[in-house]
Amino acid sequence: MSIEQMKTKSRVKKLVREKQKERRQKQHIGLKTSRIVSNTIIYIILVVIMVVWLVPFFFLLMDSFKCDIAADGETRVTWQSDTIIPKKFGFDNYVDLFTKTKFPRWFINTTLVGLACAVLQTTMILLMSYALSRLRFKGRKFLMNFMLILGMFPGFLSMILLYKLLSDWGLTQDNSIFGLILVYCASSGMGYYISKGFFDTIPRSLDEAARVDGATRAQVFSKVILPLSKPILIYTVLTAFMAPWGDFMFASYIAHTRDVGKNVAVGLRDLISTASGMADHYTWFCAGGVIVAIPITLLFMFLQKYYVEGVTGGAVKG
Amino acid sequence: MATVKLTNVKKIYDNNVVAVHDFNLDIADKEFIVFVGPSGCGKSTTLRMVAGLEEITAGTIEIDGKVVNDLQPKDRDIAMVFQNYALYPHLTVYENIAFSLRLKHMKEDEIYNRVTSAAETLGITEYLLRKPRALSGGQRQRVAIGRAMVRDSKVFLMDEPLSNLDAKLRNQMRAEIILLRKKINSTFIYVTHDQTEAMTLGDRIVVMKDGYIMQVGTPTEVFEMPANLFVAEFIGAPKMNILDTTLEKRDGKYYVEAYGAELPIDDDKGAALAEKGIETQEIILGVRPEHIQLSHAGDPHSFRCTIRVNEMMGSEYHIHALTESNQEIIVRTPTMDLTREEREQLEHGNEIYVTFKGKVMHFFDKETQKNLLV
Repeated sequence: MSIEQMKTKSRVKKLVREKQKERRQKQHIGLKTSRIVSNTIIYIILVVIMVVWLVPFFFLLMDSFKCDIAADGETRVTWQSDTIIPKKFGFDNYVDLFTKTKFPRWFINTTLVGLACAVLQTTMILLMSYALSRLRFKGRKFLMNFMLILGMFPGFLSMILLYKLLSDWGLTQDNSIFGLILVYCASSGMGYYISKGFFDTIPRSLDEAARVDGATRAQVFSKVILPLSKPILIYTVLTAFMAPWGDFMFASYIAHTRDVGKNVAVGLRDLISTASGMADHYTWFCAGGVIVAIPITLLFMFLQKYYVEGVTGGAVKG
Repeated sequence: MATVKLTNVKKIYDNNVVAVHDFNLDIADKEFIVFVGPSGCGKSTTLRMVAGLEEITAGTIEIDGKVVNDLQPKDRDIAMVFQNYALYPHLTVYENIAFSLRLKHMKEDEIYNRVTSAAETLGITEYLLRKPRALSGGQRQRVAIGRAMVRDSKVFLMDEPLSNLDAKLRNQMRAEIILLRKKINSTFIYVTHDQTEAMTLGDRIVVMKDGYIMQVGTPTEVFEMPANLFVAEFIGAPKMNILDTTLEKRDGKYYVEAYGAELPIDDDKGAALAEKGIETQEIILGVRPEHIQLSHAGDPHSFRCTIRVNEMMGSEYHIHALTESNQEIIVRTPTMDLTREEREQLEHGNEIYVTFKGKVMHFFDKETQKNLLV
């Protein structure tokens, strides 16, 4: 190698090194600043959203612990209370809720309706989705589209008709639990969409193999498809349980006078529906709200992994 | 253990696509039948109709003399191996194989015996507690076969069971299926698009195209006496050389004009042609690459061509050459018989002389494409 060549080589080396260094610095700074900026923006947005979401619940929680006594020494001042943090902490509201109102009854009602719906609705949705996913019959496409369009109409359009039907059958007021279960579950087959998407991703040859192996359609479903569908099963149970758990509108018009048939949403709301109720029972209402939130929160904490898998599972892989 | 009989079986899909036309076939007890054909020829559909996974549009399918058209798959007493294995992902290998036995409410001991003996035969005992996703392709295939084996069913159906495996494993499994077949001793229907599998496995081969049966016969029959041009080209690799030409009859002897040379047809074949009353006519001539021999310039029956590509396959060469009449021709010749100089000659651009004998020629009608001698 001549001296000239060696010189060139070292020059090239130097050039390359400079270029690399330059790029590294540029990238470094660029990355760092842009990352800091974008993260800051993201966190600001997240914090704002979090505050918006949590503040009402925080107020509810604080109000539910308020045991402040008014100037007259008798009534509990709550509604117009000027502080957020209770002056006197206590579980009085919770105790009162369980002893002085029909809350336990409402709670049981809601739980029963929720559980019944979870079982019935899940069964119906999964069977419906499986049938739509696997069987080819006349009118299948039409049925699917029809139900999808029907599902776009808000449910309260049928309110008056449903009320008439249920009251004729004696399923309002005292018997409204059954009325509620009937109405919640009746249209559940229409919620086939997500689970059908999930079943579609399970290869049909599994069904075929099982059928050749001697399984009936029902056995194919219970022994092959269902064990493979845990995420979608949990997702369906969760949604089926949660809808009646939080429902107010429909429950309110079929059971509004008698405590026996109310669910928590209606019961709690009736506590504060009058001006005096609002003044006297507001803290009870808050305590009720906190209690209602507990089961759902727990369910979500333990099952959220499956819930997410269920929602996204249909789109990706079985 | 069972015969299978398909009579005028037809399949028309909902979108009016005819997948299978008028399929007739008698399968003998313990016979190994292979359906072979290009994709879309209706072979899988036919198999699935036998399995009961597709409805039969017209005709009847009998298993052991009993019409099964309206029976559910579970009532047909068949076992099937699927192309993608279709193992139950949530069950262990043991439970996968035991699945059908459990549905029959068989005793635990009996299930244990059957599953372990099948696993032993297939060499998968050590994987019995694994889930399918922890197995390799070949192992999964074995589990799928095991699942079908334990059932002791009348008919054993296999839908392209080897097409998901790599070439080496495929060869190995092919040999194992031959061995397995000897052990199981039931009636087999095997679907494949691979003519090698068809030739090596089948007692009889059913060659299909566009929903029609092209030929049914033993591998030898199908290879040596293809019923038509399609079968001739489909069976055998590399595929048969085809040439439009004239068959001439002169003084009771037949000649064929091929690639610029006039080749005589020997007496045996000539007699067969004469028996069919065949006169001078336009034909399609077929010659398998392995039946073409290297020759030399002096041979009056040889013709000259130029090598375009020479593929060294190990024990043989596949020579793709261009004749003087500008037609492509493939010659398959064993490397063993050639001297070193001769091998060196077989390079791109070089000229070679080749020839073939009358007895290896296949004659097809120009209109119907049917074999003149069948």
